[in-house]
Amino acid sequence: MIRALIVDDELHAREEMEALLAETGTIEIVGSCGNGIDALKMINKLKPEVLFLDIQMPVINGFELLNMINADIMPHVVFVTAYDQYSLKAFEEKTLDYLLKPVDSDRLAKTIAKLQQTIVENRPPVYETEEILRIPCLLGNRIKLIGMLEVEYIATSPSGVNVVTAEHEYFTEVTLKVLEERSPLLRCHKQFLINVDSISEIILHEGGLAKIQTRSGKMIPVSRRYLKVIKKKLLL
Amino acid sequence: MVLSYIYCTLENPPDGLGPSINGFDMDIFTFSIHNIFALLQQMSIILVIAYLFTKSPFFRSFQIQTLHGRQLLSLYLIFSIFSILGTYFGLRIYDAIANTRAIGAVLAGIIGGPWLGLAVGLTSGIHRFFLGGFTALSCALSTTVEGMVGGLVHLYLVRTYQQHRLLSPLVAFLTTMLAECLQMVIILLLSEPFSQAVALVRIIALPMILSNSAGAAIFVSIIRDQRKMHDDLGVIFSAKALKMAEKTVAILGRGFTMDTAKEVASVIRDETGVGAVAITDKDKVLAFVGLGSDHHLIGGKISSAQTLKAIREDRIVYADGGEKKWRCNLSDSCPLGSILCVPLRVDNELIGTINLLEPKDKLFLVTNKSLGEGITKLLSDQILYARYIEQKDLLTKSELQLAQAQINPHFLFNTLNTIIAIIRKDSDRARDLLMHLSNFFRKNLKHTGDLATLEDELNHTNSYLVIEKARFEDKLQLEMDIDPSLLSLKMPVFTLQPIVENAIKHGISNILGQGLIRLSAHREPGCVRITVEDNAGNFVERNKKGLGMNIVEKRIKNLCGGGHGLDISCIPQKSTVISITIPEEGCKDA
Repeated sequence: MIRALIVDDELHAREEMEALLAETGTIEIVGSCGNGIDALKMINKLKPEVLFLDIQMPVINGFELLNMINADIMPHVVFVTAYDQYSLKAFEEKTLDYLLKPVDSDRLAKTIAKLQQTIVENRPPVYETEEILRIPCLLGNRIKLIGMLEVEYIATSPSGVNVVTAEHEYFTEVTLKVLEERSPLLRCHKQFLINVDSISEIILHEGGLAKIQTRSGKMIPVSRRYLKVIKKKLLL
Repeated sequence: MVLSYIYCTLENPPDGLGPSINGFDMDIFTFSIHNIFALLQQMSIILVIAYLFTKSPFFRSFQIQTLHGRQLLSLYLIFSIFSILGTYFGLRIYDAIANTRAIGAVLAGIIGGPWLGLAVGLTSGIHRFFLGGFTALSCALSTTVEGMVGGLVHLYLVRTYQQHRLLSPLVAFLTTMLAECLQMVIILLLSEPFSQAVALVRIIALPMILSNSAGAAIFVSIIRDQRKMHDDLGVIFSAKALKMAEKTVAILGRGFTMDTAKEVASVIRDETGVGAVAITDKDKVLAFVGLGSDHHLIGGKISSAQTLKAIREDRIVYADGGEKKWRCNLSDSCPLGSILCVPLRVDNELIGTINLLEPKDKLFLVTNKSLGEGITKLLSDQILYARYIEQKDLLTKSELQLAQAQINPHFLFNTLNTIIAIIRKDSDRARDLLMHLSNFFRKNLKHTGDLATLEDELNHTNSYLVIEKARFEDKLQLEMDIDPSLLSLKMPVFTLQPIVENAIKHGISNILGQGLIRLSAHREPGCVRITVEDNAGNFVERNKKGLGMNIVEKRIKNLCGGGHGLDISCIPQKSTVISITIPEEGCKDA
C-alpha cells in the first residue's frame, strides 16, 4: 500500500479523491486536509509517500507548498487541478503526474501504475525548489505571509519555529532547514537564522563566541562555527 | 453735410430783380424759407441715390468698423460723386447756387475718417473751384474743411469708444450744421468783395445749414435702417441654421445610415426651400428628396459630374445654373439646373457629399449657398459625435459579452467535480445543483436587452451562490436582506452576479477561516443601495477594480445616469463592501 495525503480546499473534492483512491485498492490514505499550512504540518508528521495536491488553494498554493517541504521527506507529487492554467506539462519532469478534475478513474489507474513503478525503482522525487519569498505564519485563524525583508531572524524552540520581525513574532510550520536552504537567511546558530540586512552590531566575546544585535535591538547568539561564515559574508 | 453752398457766380450782382440783395427789399426770412423747400427738393434726389446705393452689393459687404483698401477707395468715389452731384443740383439764387455739396464730404469724414473726409472734400472742392465765381476759392476750401470736420468727429467717436454712434443721425445733423456754419465764416473771410459775401450769406445761410444737416441725418438713417434689415436677415438666417442643427442632431444621434440620411435631407430641404437635396457616400446616393426624385434613385451610383468632382477633388463645387449649368445625366426632363456639392468630412476623412439642387427656373440663393456649406460642417461634427457615442456603446457591449462568455473554467470544472462527488451520497442534491448550474449558464448566455429586474439578478446570483455553497460547504455562509418591494426595480443586467463572484473568487476563497457573504438591498434617500459584503477584506490587495467591475460600473453610469455607480470600502482582513446605487425608481430603458 502506498501512503498518500490528499490536499484540496474543497470538501467534496477531497471526498471524491478519497473514494477514487480507495477503489484502486493500492493506496492507503494517511490523511486529507484543506490548506497548505495543515498540509505542511501533516507532511512533517506523517511523511506520506505521495501527495495528491490541488494547486489552487487559499494563501499558499500547491507550488508554494512544495517549496516548504524538507527535501529529505519530499513525497512524490500528483497535481490535481480543475483547469490547467499553469500548463502542467511543463512540470512533468518535476512532478510524478497531474490529473484534471473531475478525475477519471481510468486515468487515475495510469497514475497509480506510474507511481508504483517509481517506488519499485526507488527513484526519489527531485524538485527544483524555488526560493521562498514569503513565509506563511499562523495568526489566529488566518495565515499571514511575512516577506523576507521584514524578517529579522528566525528561531526554533521546543514549541516550533518562530519568525521574528521588528515588532512581532509569528509561528510557522516551515522548518529551519528549509528556510536555510531556500531563503537568503544565514544560519548563525543551531537554533537561529539571521537576516544579514537586519544586523546592527556584532559583539565579539572570548572563545570565538559572539552576539548579534538586530536593528530593533534584539540580541541573538552566534556560535563559533557560523561566525566565520557571517564575517565572510559581511566582508570582515 | 451739406453743402458748400454756393457755387455762386455773383459776378453779376442782381439788380432790381426780386428781392434786392443789396437793398433787402424782400423779407430775408421768407426768402430763406422758400429756399429751404427748394433745397430740400434737390436733397431728395441725392437721398434717392443714397437709397439705391444701400441696395448695392458693395453696401452689403462693407463693415464700418473694418474699412480698408478697396472699400475705402469705393467709398471715396461714391462720396465724391455725391458731393459733386450736390454742386450740380444746386439751386440758383440769382447767379449764385445754393447746394448740398457738404453732405458727401462730411459723411465721408464721419464714416471713413479724416483722410477720406479730406480726400472727398478736396476732390469736390477742386471741382467747385474750376467752376469759378467770386466764392470759388472759399467754397473749395470750405468743402475740404467740412470733410475734415467729419473726419475729426470720426476720430473723436472712435477714440472715446463710441463707434456705434458713427451712424447716428443726430451726430450727422450736428456735425453738418457745424461744418456749414464754418463754411459761412470762411465765405465771409475769404470772398471778395466782402459786401457781396455778406449779402450772399444772409440769403443762403439758413436754407443751406438746415437742408444739408437734415439731408445728412436722413442719409445716415437710411444707411442704418438698411444695415439693420441686413442684420435681421442674418438673424433669420442663423435661426434657420440652428433649427436645422437641432433637428439633425437628434436624427444623426442614431448614426449615419440610409434612413437617417433621408431624414436629414428632408430637414435641409424644408428649411432651405431648395428644389432637391441629395446626400451621397463616396459612390452611391444615400438619399434624394424633392424634385426629380422619380429618376434620382436612392442606392444608385452617383451620376452628377459636379458631385463626383467634389468627391475627387475634396472641395466645394458649385454650378449656379447661369454660366455653369448642372445637367442631369439620368433624364432629359429633369427640372433641376443648378447644384451646390459640399464634401462631407468626418475626422478629416471624406465620407460623402451633401448636394443642394435648384430647378432651372429658379435662382440659387446666395444665402442657401452659405447655409448649405455651413450645415455640412455642422453635420460632420454631428456624425463624428454619433460615431463616438456608438463606439463607446459598442465597446461596453462587447466587453460585457466578453465578460459573460468568460465562464471561469475553474468554476465550471470544480462545480462538475463537486456534483460528481455529491452524486455518490445524495443524488437529489446533485440534481438540484445541476438545475442551478443550468440556470446560471442560461442567464449568462442570454443577453437580450440592457436591463433586468432585481429579482432576475437575484435569481441569477442565487444559482451561482447555491453552487458555490456546495463547493465550500460550511466554509461559506450566506446572509440576505432584501427589501421585497424592490424586486421589480430595473437595473443593468449582469450586475449583481459578477460582484458576488468577485467577492468569492478574490475574497472568500483566499481565506482559511469561515467566509461570509452578505447581500442586501434597501432604499435610501434619493437612491436604492444594493450591497455585497464579504469578510475577507482582500480588496486593497487587488488595489484596482478588475475588468468585470469596471464594466459593471460603466454600465450603471451609462444606463442609470452618471450619479450612480459602485462604491467600494475595504477594511483589510475584515471586510470588503461593494455597494451599487441605482435611481430610486430604477433605471429606465433607453
